[in-house]
Amino acid sequence: MPPGLDNLKHIVVLMMENRSFDHMLGSLAAVDPRIDGVTDALSNPDTTGASVKPQPLAEFQSQLDPDPDHHFPAVDLQIFGGDTSPARTANMQGFVKSYFNQQEDVGHSQKIMYYFTQSQLPVLTTLALEFAVFNRWFASIPGPTICNRAFAHYGTSFGRVDMNPIYINEPFKNIYDRLLNANPKHTAKLYYYDATSSTMEVANLLQNEPELFGTYQQFLDDCNSGNLPQYSFIEPNYNDHDSDSGEEVANDQHPDHNVQAGELFIASVYNAIKQNADLWTSTALLIVYDEHGGIYDHVVPPACPPDQFTASANDTGTGQPFAFDRLGVRVPAILVSPWIPKGTVVSNRVFDHASIPATITRFFLGSYSPRSPRESNADVFIEPNVAPVDPARNLLSLDTMRTDCPDFDV
Amino acid sequence: MTLIHVPRPDLKIAMNPDRPVNALLKAQVQHLHGAERNLPVRHRTDIYINAIKTEGEAAEYIRQVTTAIHEAHKAAAKKPTRGIAIAAVASDGIPEKSKVSRKAKKRSPKKKTGSTT
Repeated sequence: MPPGLDNLKHIVVLMMENRSFDHMLGSLAAVDPRIDGVTDALSNPDTTGASVKPQPLAEFQSQLDPDPDHHFPAVDLQIFGGDTSPARTANMQGFVKSYFNQQEDVGHSQKIMYYFTQSQLPVLTTLALEFAVFNRWFASIPGPTICNRAFAHYGTSFGRVDMNPIYINEPFKNIYDRLLNANPKHTAKLYYYDATSSTMEVANLLQNEPELFGTYQQFLDDCNSGNLPQYSFIEPNYNDHDSDSGEEVANDQHPDHNVQAGELFIASVYNAIKQNADLWTSTALLIVYDEHGGIYDHVVPPACPPDQFTASANDTGTGQPFAFDRLGVRVPAILVSPWIPKGTVVSNRVFDHASIPATITRFFLGSYSPRSPRESNADVFIEPNVAPVDPARNLLSLDTMRTDCPDFDV
Repeated sequence: MTLIHVPRPDLKIAMNPDRPVNALLKAQVQHLHGAERNLPVRHRTDIYINAIKTEGEAAEYIRQVTTAIHEAHKAAAKKPTRGIAIAAVASDGIPEKSKVSRKAKKRSPKKKTGSTT
């Protein structure tokens, strides 16, 4: 069996907020043409009809204010360019128009096309170039945070496309309960940054199972002591606040929060794992964003097998129901492990957040049911450690662990 | 091994608890408000969430309710009626005087911490 899979005991998922692939990693197309990022051929029309190209002018803060709309109707406009006809096709031509709707300022609306340079984001771009970057990881829904994060926990949003609480009254268990109730029992934890930041999974997990949660400091302690659970899900700090240790700046990268603070946070998670040699050998870290936040990306989200739920025309706000048969906009996703060859680019395979519970379930539990149709059809980013392992799909493929992985000075 | 320097943001610019609450934090506050209504009375805050306008105000409410949820579950776990819904603990026969006493004990440190946010 591949030693990377043999050694793998922990999977950590860090889910950041509201940035698209092109916005964060698009610059890397110039470094490695296999990475499907920004090119000169891309553009969006503004409301005057002028062509607006992506430009490397993104700023860490105070640029995307107001927060770009990323609720279902706005994302529909972004993806379909305003075409509401039955025979429409997705073209990713409505981002500037959508942002214009918020302030009716043509100049400001063009900023939705801006992206970061490689040197601005030394953490994210280094990890993408050093480990495995996914060319086709999409948000699960063309909509906002809460319903997209639900896919990471449950493999479905139970029919929701909005920010309302998702109350589970369905047979699909969250990934934590699956692991904790398995025989033999597995271990899992959600780490929120601190109680003042808390979690976005309030309605079910925090309210009914608060024992699932720990703080980010506990994550650091668990890494240091070698007590990390088999599965960890980390939430960033969602707000600026004071704490006993001083000022805590939001590090979720949600506009208009500071992007550099998020870079530091990502590096901190990486360092915490890497500084424990045993943990580094036995852990895979997935860094992924919950959705694109209304920011431009050029890849058309593909259709997918529908879920067993349908959002009504009233709930979508577009006048049309949604069968969860199309993915959301593409987001950055990077898998980190010393068993991954440097410069791995995962192309020609499609992932979304349902791939998270799908992967965790298959790797730790093997077969499991019931699971949502969307999760059952989702691809996995780590192969089950069961013969035969397909070498073409196994990302942790090295025979010998790397010793050249970078360190971050935080 | 390469050591990569990670620049730090300027806190004077990045930190702004007076920033208006974004849609995500509004939703989080609403969800926590829903959860708070299911807590035993003695664990609830007296914060009127419609008056929350800034990130700092939202943060303080989020902290109080998150802490209260954990405290309510710990309190329920100590009861012999373990496994019964938390809501049932609200009317669990604790003498009224005792409830008031516990409430007063809980609130004191919260106000102190809240003044620093």
